[in-house]
Amino acid sequence: MKKSILIVLSVLLVNIGWAQMRVTGTVTSSDDGSPVPYATILVKGVRGAGANTDLEGKYTLNNVPNDATLVISYIGYRSQEILVNGRSVIDIVISPDALNLDEVMVVAYGTSTKGTFTGAASMVKQESIKDMPSLSFENALNGKVAGMQITTLSGQAGSTSSIRVRGIGSMTASNEPLYVIDGVPVVSGSSGQMSGYLYTSNNAMSTLNPSDIESITVLKDAAASSLYGSRAANGVIVITTKRGKLGKAKVNFKASVGMTPEFATDNFEVATPEQQVELYYENFWNAGVYHPTSPKTPAVASASALAQLNKRFNKHGYTFTAPDHTVNSLTIGGDRAGTFFDWEKELFRTAVFQTYDLSVSGATDASNYYTSLSYTKDQGRSIINDFDRITGRVNLTQKVGKSVEFTTNINVAKSNKTGFNDTRSTGANYFLQSRNLLWPLYWPTDYVTGNPWTARYGSYAYNPVYYNNEWENFSKTLRISANEAVTIKILPELTFKSILSYDNSQSKDHIYYSANHFNGSGVNGSVTEMGTDVEKLVSSTTLNYNKTFMKKHTVGVLLGWEAEDNDASFIRASGTNLPTGALHTVATAGKLDASAYYWGSTMLSLLSRVEYNFDNKYYVSGSFRRDGSSKLGPQTRWGNFWSVAGSWRIDKEEFMKEVDLISSLRLRGSYGVNGTLPPDNYGWRSLTSYGNKYMELPGGGVNTIADANLSWEKNFTTNIALEFGLFDQRLTGTVEYFNRDSKDLLQKVPISQITGFATTLKNIGEINNRGIEIEIGGEIISRDDLKWNASFTTSMVKSKVTKLYSGQDIIWYDPTGGDSRAKYIYREGESTLALFGLEWAGVDDETGKNLWFLNNDKPSTITVDGRPATFRYQDATEKIIGDIHPKLFGGLNTDLTWKGLSLSLGFTYRLGGYSYDAAGRDINDDGYYWERIMSKDAYDNRWTPENKSATYPMRIAIDLEDVNQRSSRHMHSSDYLRLKSLTIGYNLPKNIVSKANISNARIYFNGMNLWTLAAYKVYDPEVSEYGTRGWELPIGKTYTFGVEFSF
Amino acid sequence: MKKINIIFTVLSIVLLSSCEGFLDVKPSNSAPAETSITSAKDAAVVINGLMSKMASSNYYGRNFFMYGDAKGGDFAIRSQGRGLDALYVFNHSASSNSYSGFWSQMYHCILQANNLLVNIEKMETAGLGSTELSDYKGQALTARALIYFDMVRLYGKPYNMDKASYGVPLVLVPLDAAEQPTRSSVEEVYTQILKDLTDAEPLLSKSVKGGYLNYYANLAIQSRVYLTMDRFSDALSAAEEVITSPKYSLYANDKWVQSWSNEFGSESIFEIAMYLDENDLGSGSLGYYLLRLAKIKNAMGWFMASDYYLARLNEDPTDVRWGIMDYDESSNTRFGSCLKYSGVDLLGDKSSPSAVNVKVIRLSEIYLIAAEAALRQTTPDKVKASNYLNAIRKRSPGLALSTSSDVTLDMIIDEKSKELFAEGQRYFDMIRLNRSIEFNDEFIFPAVQITHRTKTIDRTFPKAILPLPVSETDANPAIKNQQNPGY
Repeated sequence: MKKSILIVLSVLLVNIGWAQMRVTGTVTSSDDGSPVPYATILVKGVRGAGANTDLEGKYTLNNVPNDATLVISYIGYRSQEILVNGRSVIDIVISPDALNLDEVMVVAYGTSTKGTFTGAASMVKQESIKDMPSLSFENALNGKVAGMQITTLSGQAGSTSSIRVRGIGSMTASNEPLYVIDGVPVVSGSSGQMSGYLYTSNNAMSTLNPSDIESITVLKDAAASSLYGSRAANGVIVITTKRGKLGKAKVNFKASVGMTPEFATDNFEVATPEQQVELYYENFWNAGVYHPTSPKTPAVASASALAQLNKRFNKHGYTFTAPDHTVNSLTIGGDRAGTFFDWEKELFRTAVFQTYDLSVSGATDASNYYTSLSYTKDQGRSIINDFDRITGRVNLTQKVGKSVEFTTNINVAKSNKTGFNDTRSTGANYFLQSRNLLWPLYWPTDYVTGNPWTARYGSYAYNPVYYNNEWENFSKTLRISANEAVTIKILPELTFKSILSYDNSQSKDHIYYSANHFNGSGVNGSVTEMGTDVEKLVSSTTLNYNKTFMKKHTVGVLLGWEAEDNDASFIRASGTNLPTGALHTVATAGKLDASAYYWGSTMLSLLSRVEYNFDNKYYVSGSFRRDGSSKLGPQTRWGNFWSVAGSWRIDKEEFMKEVDLISSLRLRGSYGVNGTLPPDNYGWRSLTSYGNKYMELPGGGVNTIADANLSWEKNFTTNIALEFGLFDQRLTGTVEYFNRDSKDLLQKVPISQITGFATTLKNIGEINNRGIEIEIGGEIISRDDLKWNASFTTSMVKSKVTKLYSGQDIIWYDPTGGDSRAKYIYREGESTLALFGLEWAGVDDETGKNLWFLNNDKPSTITVDGRPATFRYQDATEKIIGDIHPKLFGGLNTDLTWKGLSLSLGFTYRLGGYSYDAAGRDINDDGYYWERIMSKDAYDNRWTPENKSATYPMRIAIDLEDVNQRSSRHMHSSDYLRLKSLTIGYNLPKNIVSKANISNARIYFNGMNLWTLAAYKVYDPEVSEYGTRGWELPIGKTYTFGVEFSF
Repeated sequence: MKKINIIFTVLSIVLLSSCEGFLDVKPSNSAPAETSITSAKDAAVVINGLMSKMASSNYYGRNFFMYGDAKGGDFAIRSQGRGLDALYVFNHSASSNSYSGFWSQMYHCILQANNLLVNIEKMETAGLGSTELSDYKGQALTARALIYFDMVRLYGKPYNMDKASYGVPLVLVPLDAAEQPTRSSVEEVYTQILKDLTDAEPLLSKSVKGGYLNYYANLAIQSRVYLTMDRFSDALSAAEEVITSPKYSLYANDKWVQSWSNEFGSESIFEIAMYLDENDLGSGSLGYYLLRLAKIKNAMGWFMASDYYLARLNEDPTDVRWGIMDYDESSNTRFGSCLKYSGVDLLGDKSSPSAVNVKVIRLSEIYLIAAEAALRQTTPDKVKASNYLNAIRKRSPGLALSTSSDVTLDMIIDEKSKELFAEGQRYFDMIRLNRSIEFNDEFIFPAVQITHRTKTIDRTFPKAILPLPVSETDANPAIKNQQNPGY
């Protein structure tokens, strides 16, 4: 009733034409329903009429014509126009605008906006990563940034990921990008020394709580990254942590629990116990009956096979018979017949990931604060893998007077990880054990006595149920990062900023083996404590000048210098001969051993940048940096890095005014040089080391062969991009072409071992990466209550070796896991990840033997597909057998919001490359490892007289090495599409939550890796950066439930 | 403003003045190679390093002895797949089981010797020479000769079979990383070995220093080398100089077993020390490789004596050398497990079953070399041959001693087998003497099929020598065409 009267009234007033009224309301964010302070409300077409919202997001406008239109704007949010229509109370919900060209983007040594930045950079905001159960932010970025590939080697809690920005820009110098947090380069990679004892990694980045991250900018081209000079060649990841927002204090609490009950895909699934027994029998039966020189009768062969089975399994309560001397009558008898032990169930559990975050933030005109405390506990799928972490952060900004501002960012994190061997290690990798070593016919107890089984089972498998309690390991890391920055506005257009940053990571690793453990029995128990202290001190000072002349000429100049000091010190104390199993300390040991040393590197830099734009239409910029590093010799240690870039806002041109379809259009390009430092601190020095004690006297020897003239790797990068927005920015996109020539590449290149060394670090050649990246985003539906956005990224990168200075091919091996699992070749004109090996020609239908393409001129009587082949791998010649690099990779992300309900899907995909199966030689071994269990794949697809057109050869226990050759047999398509993340969120209605004094409440569900479509189904298609799949723990399907409140 | 100016100035000064100093960062646990050997004390450290590197599992620490025994017919395996059994079944190819560790570790040791020699010459040229330094030079030359002698037997055909064929690349100075040497002939390698040995001979100290090479070790190596070259009188004279030296003496029968529980016994001419926390290989040690399955935790029962060896030793059931044998997993009456590297009580020579010194050259061997050389020289001296043989043969009290009329080469070689079992000699003797080697494959239980060699082989079998590893031929294409035939 009231309303209709109002309407009548307003109509009347409009008719009069002068009717004015007072309008009030609250502006809230669609994001979390929180009030938006300092949003601007203007009355369209009325000069001087407008207001800002207060701390509670409330506004009041007087004298508003009742037919007026209100324009609400706030940085980072989409502007909205609302017709007053005579209403006096108008509550407005504004939504963040990811596609806004005016969005502020943190870049090298400052900020820019999306529409004016001349370099190539992609930004990912908190919203799109916050619901993923992730110890570290890297995984959450998967598929969100064009040109960036993230690979996770292991599903172990707390392990490192690797990030490749725009292909491979280096051979063995680091390919990892530089990480910059709040303006300062930080320590990344794996921390501590445990990797020297167990193949496990401890991600230094997991000391950063992902919830503290406001945004992540990935700097991709030279224009964006050259200011970081000698470390920027592989891209720079700039992380900005959260600040408070103007307005009253906001308390945010978030809790989530994730569960991982199973792996994301099949991973070398084993054959059934009966099938495994059959394979074992068949292996020896075939070795007799099909023996190449002296075949046996089935009776003799069967007897031998049964003897093998009985020898191995009688003691576990099984007996074997085959009355007709063939597998057809093979029967498993004995006391335990019919029952088998489920090792997988014993060694793996449902992983549980819990995280609790509490943050308090707020800001006034003079100060800004953000504080947080979080606790995360990640119990991995393997029963001995745990990780927990506490982090606390304080970000504080205080203005002193008019022109001085102090900023302090302090992060403290403490983590504790218990890991396990993640490689092809028979002793302590449960994944390998459960799928390759532990027969279901082995039991953890002796079936006669009922005591724990302590003897070795065979093939170096031990009873993990018993030995688990006989060893332990943990790595505790304390990371303290403190930045103190002072910013002084010397003149309105001249700013001085100086940052001093101290980043310290202290790891303490502990590993203990009892005297009962097979690793400790020889020395009557052992315990080792290791301390690693990594310090990074960075001092960076910049002067920034920005001024607009005559309204159209804007000039920006940056000048600065930086010094960096990195120190790492190590200490190890170990003891053997322990008095008791109860005390796991070095102090109690009968025999002690210790070591301690330190090393470090330093860098000095000068940096500068000039930017100019005319009328916000034409932009040019240039940067220059000079770095000197201790990692290079005095002759070569100084290097110059620079870039030039320009962009053109085509949409601002007169002729574009008519084109309504196109709302924004920009062309930009850049060229520049940046570099990569050698991986070793002292790679340029030939060193004598003293690790060869002899008879308790010091012993030493030359241990590196160095090139004193080692120099930086240099990247010459060209980047051209077209950015567009259509239909009033509802469809936006970027198409980007890049060409990266990397020269003087460093590699530990294999050399003739006659020199006394296997490798040397050298500048060996050049590679080229070029490609196209496409990012497209669209608002498919944009209504007040229903929104549907989708974005798509895709990258095509060609990565090739263009020049090798010695003219000679370089053959190298995958460094992952230390088992030289795959072989590659650097050859001019070929891929940077070109698999090298023998070309497998499949299986001979008649004999079930491996066939190999000769690929040489040797005489041959056998052909496969018309090509000369051989049964002897020794006669075949190796060649390039495939390329790991995908032809296409990227992601697809979509968000659907309906009222308080939201659904987000994130897919990742990879097409047109290969992965290399480094575990296949173990679980499908042609009979090489007699005592091991085989995969279902091996059982189903092996050659038998009944299955002559088989994929895999006959299983025969005559030590065939065919399966151990690095060959195309182990190469599989790595094509996949994966639903990496699915999130369903629900914002509880305001009127309900406000009763509990809660400004916003949200519940959500997230699923990780829920669905995968893979071309090759034997193992998880998400493989390591080198494209290999070994015995690392695969990732799982994680189901997470979370709640989030703000007050 | 003024304050800021001051800050700038101070920063600039600090920055510019300390630039190069700030950027010169050195490690704390390594020294620049070019300045690390400038005194006799430095040379001593490098000799220690060299001995330690020779004690690697890839060389004298384990694999070299395993090679010499696993292939010689005196060893047998009970089960395949336990470890190093490729040596026994000859399952070698350039890319699988090439035992490339021999190649890389031995050349790494040669580099250490070469580097030391170059630096000693520098010091000597600078007038800093000394007796001490000459001794280190002698040790480095002798070590280099020994390594080349071992290498040329692993990778080249026997000297008395085809000395013109490929030996190994000869490297006498530290090489630049880019160099890609190719193989010298077997003869050239032997020529260099003899040159190094004779150059070193006058430089070396005659005093006995356990764990290092001395004058007598040099002579002992000479006698081995000459014997391998069929230069019997040279072998005999080198051996006799060692035998006649009062510094070494044979173990009496009642001390023989105990000698395996002591380091640096009176027979020890060159012994490589294996200490706890140094080169101790733990459960991967030579000692563990010969223990009975489950004798102690992690003992896998890798290699046992063959029936042939046991039969030979059983010519005299009272032979003192039974004392070092223990029963194996096949039965508690078959004494196939050798305790030379763990000690009879599993306490080795320093209370560890694994950190046990490796006796590279013992006086017993020199007696047997002398016996063989005396017998086979142009004018045989059967009295000497018989006497030298008997000095060792008396360890079988139940067997009649030889006489100058009945002494034969077979007796000497059998004695060598009995005495030097598990000391890395048998295979090289069989190859040198062009004898056929029979393998006790029946001992494998349950029986398995071996397809990489026949039950009996001789030195004409291509796999009688190792392939050049694929890591070498990949990095050094020039040597690829010099691969051993059959690989």
